[in-house]
Amino acid sequence: MNLINALSPLQWALLLAVPPAILSLYFLKLKRHPIEVPSTYLWSRTIEDLHVNSIWQKLRQSLLLFLQILVVVLAILACLRPGFRGTELIGDRFIFLIDNSASMSATDLGRTRLSVAQERVLDLINQMKSSDVAMVISFSDVQRVEQSFTHSRSQLRQRVNRIQPTQRRTDLSDALRAASGLANPGRTSEAGTNDYQVAEAMPATLYIYSDGGVPTVPDFSLGNLEPVYIPIGETAPENVGIVSFSTEQNQEKPSQMQAYARLENSGTEAVTVEVELTLDGEFLDAANVDIPGRSVRTISAQENASTNEDEGSGEADDGEAGGGMREDNLPGAAGVQFDLDHPGHAVLKLAIKEQDDFALDNTAYSVVNSPRQANVLVVTPGNESLELALSTSEAARIATVKIEPPSLLATKEHLADAEAGIFDLIIYDQCVPTVMPAANTMIIGGVPPVDGWSKGEVASRPVIIDTDPAHPLTQLVQMGDVKYNYDGFPVTGPPGASTLMDAQIGPLLVIGQRAGFEDVALGMDIVGKYSDGNVGPKTEWPIRRSFPVFVMNALRYLGGARTSYSTESQQPGTAVKIRSSLPVDQVHVTSPTGDVTTLDREAQNTFVYSATDTVGVYDTREGRAREVAQRFAVNMFSSRESDLRPRTEVVLGYETVEGQSASEPARKELWKWLLLIALGVLVFEWYVYNRRVYL
Amino acid sequence: MPPSATDSPLLSPQMLAQLERLELVSRKIFRGRLKGERRSRRKGQSVEFADFRNYVQGDDLRFVDWNLYARLDKLFLKLFLEEEDLHFYTLIDTSASMTFGDPSKLQHAKQLAAALGFIGLCRADRVKIETLGTSLAKPGPTLRGRASLWRMLEYLDGIDEPSNVPLAKGVKDFCLRNSGQGILVLITDLMDKAGYESALRFLLARQMDVYVVQVLSPEEMKPDLKGDLRLVDCEDQDVAEITVSRPLLDRYQKTLAAFIDGARDYCTRRGMNYLMTTTDTPVDTLVLNYLRQRGLVR
Repeated sequence: MNLINALSPLQWALLLAVPPAILSLYFLKLKRHPIEVPSTYLWSRTIEDLHVNSIWQKLRQSLLLFLQILVVVLAILACLRPGFRGTELIGDRFIFLIDNSASMSATDLGRTRLSVAQERVLDLINQMKSSDVAMVISFSDVQRVEQSFTHSRSQLRQRVNRIQPTQRRTDLSDALRAASGLANPGRTSEAGTNDYQVAEAMPATLYIYSDGGVPTVPDFSLGNLEPVYIPIGETAPENVGIVSFSTEQNQEKPSQMQAYARLENSGTEAVTVEVELTLDGEFLDAANVDIPGRSVRTISAQENASTNEDEGSGEADDGEAGGGMREDNLPGAAGVQFDLDHPGHAVLKLAIKEQDDFALDNTAYSVVNSPRQANVLVVTPGNESLELALSTSEAARIATVKIEPPSLLATKEHLADAEAGIFDLIIYDQCVPTVMPAANTMIIGGVPPVDGWSKGEVASRPVIIDTDPAHPLTQLVQMGDVKYNYDGFPVTGPPGASTLMDAQIGPLLVIGQRAGFEDVALGMDIVGKYSDGNVGPKTEWPIRRSFPVFVMNALRYLGGARTSYSTESQQPGTAVKIRSSLPVDQVHVTSPTGDVTTLDREAQNTFVYSATDTVGVYDTREGRAREVAQRFAVNMFSSRESDLRPRTEVVLGYETVEGQSASEPARKELWKWLLLIALGVLVFEWYVYNRRVYL
Repeated sequence: MPPSATDSPLLSPQMLAQLERLELVSRKIFRGRLKGERRSRRKGQSVEFADFRNYVQGDDLRFVDWNLYARLDKLFLKLFLEEEDLHFYTLIDTSASMTFGDPSKLQHAKQLAAALGFIGLCRADRVKIETLGTSLAKPGPTLRGRASLWRMLEYLDGIDEPSNVPLAKGVKDFCLRNSGQGILVLITDLMDKAGYESALRFLLARQMDVYVVQVLSPEEMKPDLKGDLRLVDCEDQDVAEITVSRPLLDRYQKTLAAFIDGARDYCTRRGMNYLMTTTDTPVDTLVLNYLRQRGLVR
C-alpha cells in the first residue's frame, strides 16, 4: 500500500479544515426551525439534564456528526489516492501462453510452477474488462490452443484450470506461431490448414508464463504481438537431475555391461547425492556422487554459439559481456559409472535418493533387450560379390543369411514360409518372385510383379548421377567411383515410391511401399548374362567400397537388425518405432501408467507408438503373446528442463524479451472504493437524519 | 329553553338531555346563601321537621306549635331543616397555552364548564364561572336556575381572549373575590413555570371541595416534532432548543408522566380530586363516566 499525493498544500489545508469546520458547526447554534408550543415547561425540564452533560458527551451521542466526519475522512483518504501493487492488463486483446513442460512441475514455490502460473493468469483474467478478448495456449514441445479468442471469462478460467502438466520439453516456437497466426495478418497457424479461430489480425499482448527453459526461437517475427514474459520460479532453486543414463556392453569383457549416468546440479552449492541402481526392481548398486554447484565462467564467442545450440536460450548475465565473450553459468555436472554382469532382458533404474524441487528427473530408466538378428534369404543362381558382402563377420553378427537357388521359389515350403513372414528380408538376384512374400524385398535387376512397378527400356551403360544420402539405405554410399555399368533400365515405382539412385536413363534404385513392407528394385544386374550368353559381372560396383556399405545398410534397414544390447532412450512425446521380432499384425504397448495401446503394423514391418508422454518403461507384447517381447524407456534427459533456474529473458526471433518481475506491476487504485464507501455512509447519514433512528 | 343553547357548540341538545338527570354532589355540606334544594345543617324553613325549642321573645310566631301550647300550655317553637343552594364555581385557565390544540384546550374547558354549570343550574345551585384573568372589578356572573343557561353560555362564548395570568395569581384573585364555600372545578393545563402547588394551596385554604381537571392536548401527549427546533413558549416567549431524537422524545414522555403523576399525587394527598383529560376525550364521556366515578356528579 502506498499513497500518492493528489493535492497541493493549499488544497490539503482546505481539505483538512473541513472536519474541524463540521465539528465547530456542531458547537455553533444550529439554524433551528422556530415552532410555537403551548409551553416549554415540560421541554425545559426534559432537556435540563442534557444541559448539564458535557459537550463531549453530546458530541459522542451525535451519530450524525460521526457519520459526517467519517464521510469527510473517507474523502480525504480518497484524495490521498491509496493503492497497492497489483497486476493489470494493458490492451484489449490477450494471448496467454502457459508453459506446461516438465520443468513447470517443479515445486520450488511450494506448489508446482504450473499452478502458480495458472493462478497468475486467472488473476489477469479476472481483471479483464468485458470488452477484452483473450485466448489461452499451453505449450511444451507442442502447443495446444486451450481456448481460442473469447470474451467469456468463465470459459477462460475453466480452460486455464484444465491445463495439465506434461513431462515434455519446452519449445516455444509452435505456440508462438499459433499466437502470431492470429495476431498478424497473412499468417496462419499451420499453413492455412488449421487456422484455429477466426480472429481479425489485430495487435495483441502476448503473456508468456514460463520458467524460460526454452530454446531460442529462430527466424520469428513478433509483428503485432507485444510480448510480456513472466518468469515463474524461485531464483535459486535446488535440483539435482539425471540428464543421461545409458548402458553399453563392456568391450573388453563381453559378458559384462557398463552403465553410465550424468548428473547435473542446478543449485549454486556443491552437493553430494546418493544414487541407487536397481535391476528389475532389485537393488544392485549405489554410489555417492559429488556434484559441484553452478559455475560462472567466461566463454568465447565460438563456444557461445555451440552452447546456444545446446542450451538454447541465451543465458547472458549482465557481466562484462562483449567483444565476442560472455559470461555464462552452467549447472555443475558429474558422471557415475556402474559395472554389472550382463543382465539379459532387464530394466535398469537409476534413482537419486535425495528429494529436491523437481522429482521428475530424479529417476532414469535404461532397457537392456536381447539382440535381435535379421533373418535374410538370398535367392540367387550365383552372385559371388553379393555372397561375399553378406559373409563378413559384421553381417554375420546382425543377420542370419540363407542363400538359395531360384528353383526354391516354386516350392510349397518356401511359399508357406514367405507367406508366414519368417524372413525379414528376401533378396532376389536375377530372379523375380511370382507372389510377393510377407517380407521386405530387394530385387536386383528386376521389379516386383505387382501393380505400380514397371521397368523401362534397357539402355547400355547407365551412368549414376546421384544418390540420396539421407535415406538409411543409401547412407554413406558414394557411387561417384562406379564408372562402368554394362546395361540397365529405368525403374518406375508405385505412387509414393522414392528414388534412391538416379542415372541418366532415369531412376535406377527405387524404394516403394507395399502393405506394411518395403520393396527395393535395382534397375541393373550385378552379375548376369551378357549378350553373347556368358555370365559375368555386369558392373564394377562390387569392387567399390560403396557396395558392402550398401549391403550392410540393406541388412540393417530392410532386415531390421538390432545389435545393441541397450535400447536408445526416448524423449517424452517422441514417436517410437517398434519393430516386432515375429511377423505379427498387432503389438500391444503397456505404458508406465498401465494404459495398453494396440498398434497396427505400418510400413517396414514397424509399429509406431506416439503416446510416450510419461517417463518410464514401456512394455511391448507381440500378437497374442503374453511375454514382454521388448521394452523401451522414456526419460526426461534434458539439461534445460533440469536446470530449474528461471531465465531472466527469452529470445523470440529478433527480439529479446526481458522477464518482468514475477508479475507486471500495476497500481491498483483504492480511491474509487473509498468514495463509494463515503457515498454509502452519506446515504446512511441521510437515513439516520430522516428516520430519527438512533443507533 | 333559550335558543342560544341549541346554537351553542358548547352543549348539544342530546348532551343537555343527559345532563338534566344529573346533579352536583359535594362531599362537604356548605352553607348556602339562598334557599336551594339541598338540606342544610342550619335549621330553617322547609317541610322537614328537625326539632323543638323553647320560645324566646322575638321568635316568629308562625313557627310556634300551637297544638303543643294547647296541650302543655307552653310555647314551643318548631324547627325545620333548612334547604339551601350549593355554590358551584368553575375556574377556567385562559392562559395562552390553553388555546392550543384542535379543539383547543380552552374550548374543551368551556364545554366542560358549560356541562357542569348546566347540571348546577338544573338543581338550582348557585353557579359561577370565572376565568383566571377575571379582574376583581369585573367578576363573572352568578347564575341560578335553568333560565340562566343562555347567560352562562353567552358568558362562556365571550371567553376567547387569552390572558396570561399566572396560575397562582389567578387562583388567589378568585379566592379573594369569592369567599363562599362550595365546589370548585379548576380546569387548567397546570403548565405554569412557577408551579401549580402555590395556586392549589390557596384553594385548600378556602376549604372548598376542589376538583382539578388537567386538560392536555394530544400534541402535548405525543409531540410530533422533527429536526432541530427552537421551541417558543407562547406565554412568555421562553425558548427551548431541541434536536429531536428518539431518546429526547422518550425522555419527554418520562417527564410528562412524572409531571402528571406529581400533580395527581399532590392533589390526592391534599384531599383534592384530580382528573387528567385530553382534548380528544368527548366532554359527555368525561362528565358521565370519569367525573361520575370521581363523585362530582350523580
